[in-house]
Amino acid sequence: MNAIETTKLTKNYGTSRGIVDVDMTVREGEIFGFIGPNGAGKSTTIRTLLGLIYPTSGSATIFGKDVVKHGPEIREYVGYLPSEVFYYDDMRAIDLLKYSGSFYKKDPKAIEKRIRDLAALLDLDLKKKIDDLSYGNKKKVGIIQGLAHEPKLIILDEPTGGLDPLIQQQFFNLLREENQKGATILFSSHILGEVQKLCDRVAIIKDGTIIKVEQIKTLLENSTKRFTLEMATTPDTEIFRIEGVSDFQMTAGSASFLFRGRVNEVTHILAGLDLTDLLVEEPDLEEIFLHYYEKDDAQ
Amino acid sequence: MNVFLRELAAYRKSTLIWAASLSGIIIMFMALYPAFTTDIAATKQILSQFPPALRTALNISLANFFTLYGFFGYLLGFTMLAASIQAMNLGVGVISKEVSGKTADFLLSKPISRATIVTSKLGAALVMLLITNIAFWTVSYLAARAVSKEPIEAETFFLLLSTLLLVQLIFLALGALFAVIIPKVKSVVSVTLPTVFTFYIIGAIGDVLGNDSVRYVSPFRFYDTNYIITNTGLEGRYLAVEAAIIVIAVALAYVIYLKKDVRSST
Repeated sequence: MNAIETTKLTKNYGTSRGIVDVDMTVREGEIFGFIGPNGAGKSTTIRTLLGLIYPTSGSATIFGKDVVKHGPEIREYVGYLPSEVFYYDDMRAIDLLKYSGSFYKKDPKAIEKRIRDLAALLDLDLKKKIDDLSYGNKKKVGIIQGLAHEPKLIILDEPTGGLDPLIQQQFFNLLREENQKGATILFSSHILGEVQKLCDRVAIIKDGTIIKVEQIKTLLENSTKRFTLEMATTPDTEIFRIEGVSDFQMTAGSASFLFRGRVNEVTHILAGLDLTDLLVEEPDLEEIFLHYYEKDDAQ
Repeated sequence: MNVFLRELAAYRKSTLIWAASLSGIIIMFMALYPAFTTDIAATKQILSQFPPALRTALNISLANFFTLYGFFGYLLGFTMLAASIQAMNLGVGVISKEVSGKTADFLLSKPISRATIVTSKLGAALVMLLITNIAFWTVSYLAARAVSKEPIEAETFFLLLSTLLLVQLIFLALGALFAVIIPKVKSVVSVTLPTVFTFYIIGAIGDVLGNDSVRYVSPFRFYDTNYIITNTGLEGRYLAVEAAIIVIAVALAYVIYLKKDVRSST
């Protein structure tokens, strides 16, 4: 059975577009990345799956059950962490988490033990009031409330914002553990790097439509880097005419381009240049879409 | 059950404050009753010199005003204004707080149906109104017994008191409805005060104009003190109007809450 299956899922907000005809299948047991620029429709899709908003047309199922008809039943085994977390300010973290746990059929003692284990792992003081917690610590409360009932499906909507790198690392390890225990994970992000670290397959969404579903391996092979060079002498532009280079710009003494392919091919060229500075960076998603996927569409 | 208990805990303090304030007001005013009635003839004469329009606007009936029930019923009219604000605050507050506090994502992604959420929340609000009324009724009855020279007819007295809860229920229902209609309630009292005062003023204007049909519009005029004192009963047709308002408002609140999209809080 598929963990998530959407069929021509469409959502309009009045006249403005949400998502259009989204067909997506997440298999049970996989870590599925959901990637796209901000405003592309990731949250809209996720909120529809959770029953927070209702589809305009099309349908979606989680473990074979329709998300509109069987909302409460489905959410019994779903854990959700939104990008920004808001809880009741007057509650202590532990009270909030127990309250959260009280909605599930699972044994409250088992949930509480798990809450304490996770809090120890993430280094969260459970006695503090929600109001007194920093943004990062509130996020930890969010992670715990999403995982404490050991859900079969974990839905994460841009979950890493506000987490310091160390906690983020622990969080990812935690997710891998959950996945090994059998949980399916849907992980949405606009940062390609974090999806690459974690996911088996990714769906790429843009302007409300899924434009590609790929194995992460394929995506890695196609990994695109932005090169920015500062040079003492200006070389002939011809030397950069190799396959995989796009968005090439050169002014006196500096050049910048996107490269998709084996990095080694570029470093060969660079070796022959008189470089004063070199920057190799992960292009942001917008750039990838602009120079990679839109070209694909055009072909 | 957890949402119900959570709301009770969240509103515990405010309910205690409301119950104490309403009771305090009634004790204070009932304490004036003996002084007020020492020279009935003189006071009556002063009041009878008031223009009749003013008397009606102040809702003073010379026949009943100087009896304990009349005096109490008169005070109850003002207490009702405050109590209605409490009820509507509860109705708007319990339903809108998840959206205004941005906790809707948390609550609605739990395995609980929206209908259960509304039921739990309205149930908690109802319990808090009942607690307020039990406190207020007890204090009122004891205060009336303390100042009255004659024994109190419990039936008339509690019928008068029951109108407080009856009017509160209307505003609780209206509050729930407003909370689902208004896209984002920034402040509860900014919804409550204008609504309650509008109905109150409509009622007062109706009195001055002597327009009886206004009685169907303002809940504050549904249950007439003088009618209750004379007939020891409530007017059935207004009970029917009340029931209709509550059923329609609550049903609409459920339907809208169930169908509503919970937009992202960011």
